[in-house]
Amino acid sequence: MAATFALLSGWGALTGMDLVTFPQALLSRPLIACAGAGVIIGDVETGLRMGVLLELFALDVLPVGASRYPDYGPGAVAAVVLASGGPWVERLGLAALFALSLAVVGGWSLLWLRGVNGRMVQQAAAGLAAGDPGTIARVQHRGLGADLVRSLGLTVAALLLARALHPVLPGGPRFALVTAAAVGAGVAAAAGGAIRAAGRGARLRWLVVGTGIGLIAAVLT
Amino acid sequence: MTAGFLRALWRLTSVQGAWNYERMTGIGMGHAAQPLLEDLKSADPARYAEATVRSAEYFNSHPYLAGLALGALVRAEYDLVPGAQITRLRAALTSPLGALGDLFFWAGIVPTATGLGILGVVAGWGLWTIAVVLLLYGGLRIATGIWALRTGLASGARVGAAIGDSWLPGAATPAGLVAGLVVGLAVPLAADWLLDPQGLGAVGVAVLTLLAGLGAAWRFGPRMTAVKFGLIAIGLALILAWGLP
Repeated sequence: MAATFALLSGWGALTGMDLVTFPQALLSRPLIACAGAGVIIGDVETGLRMGVLLELFALDVLPVGASRYPDYGPGAVAAVVLASGGPWVERLGLAALFALSLAVVGGWSLLWLRGVNGRMVQQAAAGLAAGDPGTIARVQHRGLGADLVRSLGLTVAALLLARALHPVLPGGPRFALVTAAAVGAGVAAAAGGAIRAAGRGARLRWLVVGTGIGLIAAVLT
Repeated sequence: MTAGFLRALWRLTSVQGAWNYERMTGIGMGHAAQPLLEDLKSADPARYAEATVRSAEYFNSHPYLAGLALGALVRAEYDLVPGAQITRLRAALTSPLGALGDLFFWAGIVPTATGLGILGVVAGWGLWTIAVVLLLYGGLRIATGIWALRTGLASGARVGAAIGDSWLPGAATPAGLVAGLVVGLAVPLAADWLLDPQGLGAVGVAVLTLLAGLGAAWRFGPRMTAVKFGLIAIGLALILAWGLP
């Protein structure tokens, strides 16, 4: 139990760091974060279902430079824990609500991190102006450390919340309605992002062709 | 590849490690520059001190392409290019490297990779899909990093021409087209996979939510983010479900 919690905390922290600081290797994407969480808790099916659903929301976002964007990783990891141990059809929507709320909190925590880094740079102004390599290394390592603390703190808080909510999560066939609404909202998010990214040129035509083939395949299968 | 090159390459994987509004990725660039500036330390200590100050000044670009700028700026220091010119080069590289990287990676490769991941999972290939997507993406990220740093070091102050002659400017458009196709394919199949066991009622709820989402996006524009709409829609569905017998 403790080992699983530690593994989930470490994985969630890595997905949180991956978004901006290290290593930016796709680990922060909900599809990957949830699949990893599913492997750790031994419920791959829930991990993949949760990952696909949250990835639809994440397809709306381009993590560009100084803009503000949600941090899905830690909340996505905890959402898999919340959705596990019951029928995914009833639980996925509730867990998506949980994950999206935490993604917003994660986005705010990134603003906090940028402020912390800014203050560290100001405190190190003399060393940076003098060209001291030790000062540069110290600011860099402290920045990475601050993001580790941010991501780990967010993950542990999310996991504790998921563990507290898990036994009182409402169940029953009617909660499949919540999952269906979450899928609809996810498709709207992905479609909105894809249309915005496509503009009015050739990419829009390729998007329309892909969607047409996808719809036909969905109906036929 | 020398030890200094490899250390710089490794440090570039966390170039945004101390990202802040004042210098943006400047600190990460300065940290990554140090292994490449080692030879200058003994050859020309005064120049080394100046170069170190410059290396950590304001900079911003797409993180995967930062190596192009890093290599070019370090090479310019060894070529004894005047400091003011190096500062101008640094500023001039910010926008193009940001725009090219955002178009190629964030708007092209990332949606393609995650879209392919969704398609693989939906097709039943499970964790194998995740492993393949991670390996391919990681391989492309490493290969781009090596190419960027090498190209920057080889071209110095002429890096703008080197970028213009490279594969990069021409790759963004096809990457975007493929992303459009893959995401277009993946979204309906993902929805089908998630709704299939739930029957027509669930499909109806999902379609109504989708239409409401598109309507909200049209009415409120960028203010209605995906997360905001998701929270509202799922929250309302939860209240409805609770009220059902």
